Parts: sequence; C-alpha cells; structure tokens
Amino acid sequence: MALNIDSLTASQIASGIAAGDFTATEVAHASLDAIEARDGAVKAFLQVSPELALDAAAHIDAARAAGEALPPLAGVPLAIKDNMNLVGTRTTCASRMLENYESVYTATCVERMLQAGCLPMGKANMDEFAFGSSTESSAFHRTNNPWDTERVPGGSSGGSAAAVAAGEVALSLGSDTGGSIRQPASLCGVVGLKPTYGAVSRYGVVAFGSSLDQVGPFGRTVEDVALAMNALVGAGHDPYDCTSQDCPVDFLEHLEDSIEGKRVGIIPSFMEAEGLTLEVKQAVERAAHELEAQGAKLVEVDLPHLDAAIAAYYVIGPAEAFSNLARFDGIRYGYQEEGCANLTDQSSLSRAHGFGAEAKRRQMLGAYLLSSGVYDKYYYAAQKARTLITQDYNRAYEQVDTILMPASPRTAFKFGEISDPTQMYLSDLYTISINICGNGGISVPLGLGGDTHLPVSAQLVGPAFKDRQLLTFARALERGIAGGMSVAPDFAGKGGEL
Amino acid sequence: MALSEKDVRGIAEYAKIALTDDELTEMTAYMNNAVSILEPILQYDLPDVEPTFHPIGSLSNVMGDDGLEPARDLPLDVALENAGSARDRYFRVPSILGEGESE
Repeated sequence: MALNIDSLTASQIASGIAAGDFTATEVAHASLDAIEARDGAVKAFLQVSPELALDAAAHIDAARAAGEALPPLAGVPLAIKDNMNLVGTRTTCASRMLENYESVYTATCVERMLQAGCLPMGKANMDEFAFGSSTESSAFHRTNNPWDTERVPGGSSGGSAAAVAAGEVALSLGSDTGGSIRQPASLCGVVGLKPTYGAVSRYGVVAFGSSLDQVGPFGRTVEDVALAMNALVGAGHDPYDCTSQDCPVDFLEHLEDSIEGKRVGIIPSFMEAEGLTLEVKQAVERAAHELEAQGAKLVEVDLPHLDAAIAAYYVIGPAEAFSNLARFDGIRYGYQEEGCANLTDQSSLSRAHGFGAEAKRRQMLGAYLLSSGVYDKYYYAAQKARTLITQDYNRAYEQVDTILMPASPRTAFKFGEISDPTQMYLSDLYTISINICGNGGISVPLGLGGDTHLPVSAQLVGPAFKDRQLLTFARALERGIAGGMSVAPDFAGKGGEL
Repeated sequence: MALSEKDVRGIAEYAKIALTDDELTEMTAYMNNAVSILEPILQYDLPDVEPTFHPIGSLSNVMGDDGLEPARDLPLDVALENAGSARDRYFRVPSILGEGESE
C-alpha cells in the first residue's frame, strides 16, 4: 500500500528524506496533493504557495545530493498563520484591509522554520486580525473543523489547527493572544503550544496585543512541537524584537523523562466553572489520573484572583489592539477609500470599509477604554489585576511543577451557534489568564468526548520559561492516553500519496 | 452610566472609524454590554497593588545605531508597492484640511 503523507510525523518526514526513502520534492507534491483533495472541504488555507514550497524542496534535495547535512525539519510541510509575513505571499490577516498586501520582508519565526528545512505550503485562515475564537470573523471564508465540517475549528488560529488536523501539513505556526493556539488545538484534536511570552520572536508578525501576543507551533505529536520549538528558539535572541529573550534549550532533551515525583496542580474552582461540559471535565480528570498513575502527585492549588482574568483581558487586549491597529490609515498600505475630499475622511472611510465588524468592535472598545477619564478607572485596574494573577500563579508554582486544567470548556461548536460577541469571549475562559501573566501553556488532545464524539483536550500550564518541562508532561499524557498522532478520519488518506 | 449614541459617535470619530446610523445603534448596544462585562475589574483599583504593564519587567527600549543599515532598507519601489496611491517617489494623499481637491 502506498505511503500517505498524513501518516508521517514531521520527525519521520525529515528522517525519511535524510535516509533517501523519498525526496523533499515528493513530499511537497504529496502535501500539495493532500491540500488539493481536502482543502475544498476544510478551507484551512487562504493562499497555497506551491512555487515557494517546491523551490524550498529543490534546495533540500540538492543539499542531500551534494552530501550536505540536512537541517532537522528538512522537507516538512508547514502552514503559516496569515498574520506572519513571508516574502512571496500576501499577508492579509484575513481582512479586507490587507487583502492585497504583499509581504515586503519575512517574519523571524517563519524564517527560522524555513532555515530548519520546512516547506512553506501557504498561509492559513484566521479570525480577522486574530479577533475571535472560531475563525468565523475571517473576511474571506470560514474554515471547517475536519472532525465535523459543520462546526468551527476554533480560533483565532483556526486554519493552522485545521490544516494539521486534516493531515494537509505536519506542522503549522499560530499566534496566541488569549488562547488562539490552545483553543483551536483543543477543538481540532492536535497539539498546540503557546510558549512563554518572549520565547519566540514576533518580528514580522502583525501585532494585536503587544503585552500578550506570542507565536507557537501546532503539530500532531508532542515530539513534532518540540522540534518546531527547537527551530523557533534555537538561534536565541532576535535583535529585531525587544521582547525576544535568549533562551535556546533543546526541547527534545527531556521529552521522554519520567514525571514520577513531580507535582501537578489542580484548581478546584476551574473544574466546577459554569460552562464546563461534562465530557471535557471527565477528560481532564482522566488526564489527572493518568499523570498520577505515572507517579505524579496531584495537589490542589488556589488562585483567588483568576476571576478577574477575562475582564482584565478585555481591557488590556482591546486597548493594545486599538493602539496597534491605528497604523492602518489607508495611506502606506492597506485598503484605501477612493475619492475622499480630505485626509480625515480617507482614514475614517478606509478603516470603516477595510475592517470587519469584530475588528471595529475591539478598536471601539479600546478607544473608549483609553479615553480621558475612563483610562484611569479601567486600564490601571486591569494592570493591577494582572499583578495579582501573576502573583497567584507564582505562589502556586512554589507548590507544583505544572497545573492541569481544560483548554476549552467544550468541544467544537456549530457555525453561528455563539452569535453574541461577548458570549464568544467566554470561550477563552481557561486560556486567557496564561497570556495575562505571560507563562506557557499547551493543549494536549485526549481522544474524543463521550457525548459529542469530538476532540477533547487538557491544558498544562507552567512557570515562565519552563516550556520544555510542559512538553515532558504533555508527552506523558500522549504516551498514556492519546497514543500519538491522529488525522480526522473523514480526511485521512485523501490525496497525499507519497 | 450607559453610553449614548452621541458618546459612541464621539468615540468613533476619535478612533477614525466612520459608522453608519445602523452601525452606530448596534455598536452602542455592544459597547454597553462589553463595558458591563468589564465592571468587575473596577474593584481591582487597589492603592497597595502596583500595576504590571508587561510580562517582562526588565524590558527596555532598543536604540539602534544612528546610521544606515543598507541590508535592511526597503527599496523605494518595494516601500511604495502596497500604497493605495503613489506618485513618483511619494505616497499620495488628499488634502489634509477642508474640502479641497483630492489631487
């Protein structure tokens, strides 16, 4: 039987190419073929970039033919969230505002994945400017969850998660401001890591919330995510991003370590929160038992200020978004309204017609929160709540090595099911506090829920710059429960023969 | 105190987002709903707690050398390629004040 690209992990693709089992060009064609066969139904991509992918593959094959050592992700198909610049592609942020924007330089995170040998297959759909939890706010089209195409893939990095879950690519990049990697990873049944703030350079990534945004990888296995992290942080500090920290560690080094004797925190109030579905709760409890069975000790921890996280986030996020998106004035780039009598009209109409509804809502809220007399009340209070939430987590990490919790309160919901934007904000109940304090978090798939038969997951979070340890816990869960990679069954094996 | 449509119109002008009358009504409802969700944060304006504006406390601004970096300069044609309107070496904009000619 022919080998299908979706049956291989990133690690297996790279080693297969190195061993001469297949070429990078064959992998690129297989991935393009899988995208052709599957993406009509999934719609994970906004643009596919066959020329760039085949060109990168040709370089890998030439290097191998010349006897050169291959980079660790040589020939691995990669999808890139469309808020990351890559020369030769448009960077649209899934917005009419940037519909025709050609990348004029390449983001450091993308560059590092390409230097590690990845093949850039294209740009993945997202909520417009990353404002959303379902990818429904994309100005171009919806992305369908590969496990049930009548349901959302989550968001905002919904295209990145769906492309991996459908087996179109082995790895993808997303960004996470309030849960935008971990929640879609949960809804699509793949692994998604939000590294600690500052671990990965954001140079060349369109900014949303500058004190919250972080780039991270999706993969079908924890090992693949570790390999991607090595590529993203291996070169250390990026001089083009002042938040980029120098923390090059080998994420594979302790992946298979035992977790015996480690302490795993549980937040009781999180397990009883309104909106948490029984099947997700049971999955997280199963994960807790699995970690315990592998020798970890479960410890209840109390974080008294977590209730403030959503309100703090919806002050800080919109305030920062309003500042960041002020640059879209229709002059140097972006949609420009024609025939305006003066500059103010041009800016106001370009922004009115270039931005979609949610992007306008967030900026309006941010503008209000930063206005005179309001700023003092809300913005300072939110930043003080951030201090207390961070202190809560730091105190908890004196008692435990990681904290286990849900990533999403429920499995994938139907399109249009959550129409009130403020209700949608509650989708990120379990992820937001991690962005507030800047720590790392990972969503680990745990199979299918007992009620909806859709992917369920657990989230592991940890102290700042202990992301490698998070991967060790995630791998322990994967070993014990999930059993490794899983492509959504409706798409597995469709196209993509190697 | 609830925001009125007049308040929201003022915010839209500040945010440079032109709203139609229908959009204004919807936006006013949204803003009032969103602000009510944010109310719990007001209890955190505590005098003895320092605000944290950024997860990395020791962050400082990066100052570049006062010189050219030719390798990073955008060529003129690349810098202008995404502009809605450009002429010769310049971004082109309508007049800044009043109802003048857009040339």
